[in-house]
Amino acid sequence: MKTIIKLLLVLVSFSVLTSCTDVIQIKLDEGSKIYVIDAFVNNLREDQVIKVTTNDSYFSNKEAPAVSNANVVLKDLTSNTQYVFNYTSNGRYVYPITIADTIARVDHSYELNVTIDGYIYKSFNIQRRTAVIDSIVALPQEGGFGPPTTDTIFNCLLLARDKVDNNADYYWVKTYRNDTLMGAGRDINVTIDGVGGIVSAAPGDTIEFTPPATFLGFENFRKNSKCKVEIHSISRDNYFFFIQALAQINNGGLFATTPENVKTNIVTPDGAKTKAIGRFNMATVVTKTTIVK
Amino acid sequence: MKLRVLLFLSFFAFKTYSQEKFTISGYVKDGKNGESLIGATVYKQGSNLGASANEYGFFSLTLPKGEHVIGVSLIGYKTYTFSVNLEKNITKTYELSEESKQLDEIVITGEAADKNITSTEMGTTKLDIKEINKIPAMFGEVDIVRAIQMLPGVTTVGEGASGFNVRGGNVDQNLILLDEAPVYNSSHLFGFFSVFNPDAVKDVKLIKGGIPSQYGGRVSSILDIRMKEGNSKKFEVNGGLGTVFSRLSIEGPLIKDKMSFIIAGRRSYIDALVKPFVKETNPIKNSEFYFYDLTAKINYRINDKNTVFASGYFGRDVFGAASAFRFNWGNATGTLRWNHIFNNKLFMNVSALYSNYKYFLGFKLPQLNQKFDWTSNVINYSVKPDFTYFLNSKNTIRFGAQALLYDFMPYDAIGQFSGGASVKFKAEKRYGVEYSAYIGNEHKILPRLTFDYGLRVSLYNYLGKGTAYYYRDTIANEPLPFDSTHKFKNGEVIKHYINPEPRFSVNYVINSYSSIKASYNRMAQYLQLISNTAASTPLDVYTIASNNLKPLIADQGSIGYFRNFKENTYETSVEVYYKYLQNQLDYVDNADLFINDRVEGQLLQGLGRAYGIEFYAKKNLGKIKGWISYTLSKTERLVDGISNDKWFYSRYDRTHSLNTCVNYDISKRWNISTNFVFLSGTPASFPNSKIQIQNYNIPYNTDNIRNNYRITPYHRLDLGATYTFKKNETRRYKQTLVFSVYNAYNRRNAFSIYFQTKANEPNQTEAVRFSVIGSIIPAITYNFNF
Repeated sequence: MKTIIKLLLVLVSFSVLTSCTDVIQIKLDEGSKIYVIDAFVNNLREDQVIKVTTNDSYFSNKEAPAVSNANVVLKDLTSNTQYVFNYTSNGRYVYPITIADTIARVDHSYELNVTIDGYIYKSFNIQRRTAVIDSIVALPQEGGFGPPTTDTIFNCLLLARDKVDNNADYYWVKTYRNDTLMGAGRDINVTIDGVGGIVSAAPGDTIEFTPPATFLGFENFRKNSKCKVEIHSISRDNYFFFIQALAQINNGGLFATTPENVKTNIVTPDGAKTKAIGRFNMATVVTKTTIVK
Repeated sequence: MKLRVLLFLSFFAFKTYSQEKFTISGYVKDGKNGESLIGATVYKQGSNLGASANEYGFFSLTLPKGEHVIGVSLIGYKTYTFSVNLEKNITKTYELSEESKQLDEIVITGEAADKNITSTEMGTTKLDIKEINKIPAMFGEVDIVRAIQMLPGVTTVGEGASGFNVRGGNVDQNLILLDEAPVYNSSHLFGFFSVFNPDAVKDVKLIKGGIPSQYGGRVSSILDIRMKEGNSKKFEVNGGLGTVFSRLSIEGPLIKDKMSFIIAGRRSYIDALVKPFVKETNPIKNSEFYFYDLTAKINYRINDKNTVFASGYFGRDVFGAASAFRFNWGNATGTLRWNHIFNNKLFMNVSALYSNYKYFLGFKLPQLNQKFDWTSNVINYSVKPDFTYFLNSKNTIRFGAQALLYDFMPYDAIGQFSGGASVKFKAEKRYGVEYSAYIGNEHKILPRLTFDYGLRVSLYNYLGKGTAYYYRDTIANEPLPFDSTHKFKNGEVIKHYINPEPRFSVNYVINSYSSIKASYNRMAQYLQLISNTAASTPLDVYTIASNNLKPLIADQGSIGYFRNFKENTYETSVEVYYKYLQNQLDYVDNADLFINDRVEGQLLQGLGRAYGIEFYAKKNLGKIKGWISYTLSKTERLVDGISNDKWFYSRYDRTHSLNTCVNYDISKRWNISTNFVFLSGTPASFPNSKIQIQNYNIPYNTDNIRNNYRITPYHRLDLGATYTFKKNETRRYKQTLVFSVYNAYNRRNAFSIYFQTKANEPNQTEAVRFSVIGSIIPAITYNFNF
């Protein structure tokens, strides 16, 4: 639900009367060093990457400082298998996928071990099932806010189904327009059971995704644009991480919330001098591509 | 405690002299339109014996038999004096006429000191609607809440923020009463305008400290707005064509001097103005963005002893894009009142009140027959008898009671699929009832010393029918883990709270132009707004005290020195206050506050403290009028699990706050006015580093301190000019043109500073200042009256 509200309120507060934004120069304090572990592994047939970096000054315009001396091991606790990720560059630890590999499997339990300077930073995750995509529909836009255009513009809508049982499912919907991730670094579309994201004990399971979870990107597509959707299954804690991160990276307008530090699911071992924060998630992914006609 | 107060009260109250006494009682009204004059003073000249008219203009003054010279006065009106040989009780309506504008300086006859010196009221400001009308306003539209924000101790987090903050309190800590009915959201257009139509408002009173016992239910302030009764002498039409909206009000007698009415409406028309000029294909064509409101009141004077009133307000804001979403919200209030005079000393008013705040949010995809609708509301029902007993010229006793039912629907949502099937998310309604009883006495103990002491006792029940949620303990700043639920039957008490709320103030009059006052009050509040955003949003819902949430309690003490100069032409005051709050709401990190039946597990309760000194100087009379106020203050909070368990600055902390507001009658035709505002920047939490996860640059503060920075100070100058057209001698038609320039030197005041990744530059991060007002806003409003 928060995603909808966030979106709505940002929209509202920026369209109010004469509001404006200016990029300004300010001086910020420097924080102490922490490790950052970015481990989103999935079942797509592509190289799997786990990043180990540190925090950086807020206005540093470089890629995050790399940590190159870590050992990164992913353990499949269900099948008792182990995958070693090897360092390449820029804090990236890679496991190259071969034809035979099935590194990420639905319902398997995984443990991530990242060893730095003799301390093992751990995390645990269970890979969830994902939704079913029926189709992507492109509809000509009729109204809404934004600059007027001469072309016909389209909104892409996702027709997808959630799997029904008594457990809530958490999804991360990534949309690509002509192979570019939409809203990269700025927007996040996550949902619970396809219903906006209502955190309630009420029945959350639906058959069909409902708006606004069905809106793809809130950005425009043109004729012949390629629209690709990926639905990644995420764990409940990672769903809340994305919600929290969204609030931090997009915290403008009248209805900004009090900034807070995002939560981590990486456990720092006792005695370690440097704390690690970050996220570990094992995802099942379903994709669909369409060309707007 | 209560008994002791009563004994104390009766001991002093009934100490009367054996001399024969008679009572002068009645109403004080405006001679021009018959509106009752709240707070007018009726006094015996050359003494400190006097009484002031209550909220309905009723007064009662008991004096010894014999010759007296009596004065009836109110600021802005000519003092009316008359001699009387008191041999029997007198009941009469006194009509005052407005002071004439041409006079440079008014000479007040008689020795009656100004009310601000003699009354026990402190931390209290009364604003006459005529004064408010002269403040240069945004878009040229007079606004009560924005005028309130010019007073000492009152701030806002910025333009576009709903409501106002009093002495560091949250917006939900102000009890806003429109003809006694509580108003939950006082804003139109997200805070640019308030819901009160100035054409229908008579009197505005803000009480920040020394809150008398007849008020309760919120801890920081009372904003008591009284609507006009409607001209009882002749028909009157007021209206205005403004830049943003238009106003029209009609008032007049239905039966002369017996029954009158007022009806006033407003509608904004940004959308209507824009639409004809945009092409069919422009997305604005189908968007909606407007508000409207309607205020009405009728009164009927049945006889000398009985008057009945009915008043109501209805307003909505609508914002949407036709095919994608619609968002609307608004209040409705209703008040029924009966004034009854038992005898020349005992006055009663009984009010029945209704208030409903409701919002709707919907998304739809008509092409796919899909939609998502969501509503929420807060309803109040209340009955409230209040009595004023003018016991004698030394004691005015007020007592009464109130029953208030809270009826909440936190959310009611439905998602509809293309096949026609749907999924519902509906919360259970929540109920609470607050009973309170009070008694207070304004007691002139000595010629120079007046006490106002009282006690209010509030009793609150969190009621079924409903489910109570129980949680287990956890570490601070984590959502409480759910434990169990228990279902309660209709009317069953789930949780019960009782709070004695002592109120006390004292005034020592040093001489006719200066006094010292002190006060203490305890207030209890049984509902709080759940809002963790910088400005509260129309979607924010209130929650009531429950088995998990304790009521908010505030203790406030203040002391002040009041002095008038030049025959009350200038009023000045200095007040110091200290306020301590318990059980103020805060939120766990990443709290999910919407459509969540376990929302109470996401809430934290902590302590607050606020203290400061307020300076105020006001010029009441003459060609140049206005005020200047300066406040030096500090507001902090302490919440387990936040900011390393240390006191941190509240979002409403403004170290310095300066407001000036001046208007000048240049001639019969021209009046000019100006405002200047300076406020220290609000505290804000800034990161000291960033972390990168999934290519998102997330701001991070390794020290975890909240509100560790301050945004830049806020300052603004507004200018206004009013031109009054020459009146046509044969007609009553009166016209004015109001020119205004808001933010005259075009400052982009920061509302907030936030941090983001540059568009299309994944590694580049920047700080962005968000200003709600980014330019000078000139406006012209045409007003008419006939």
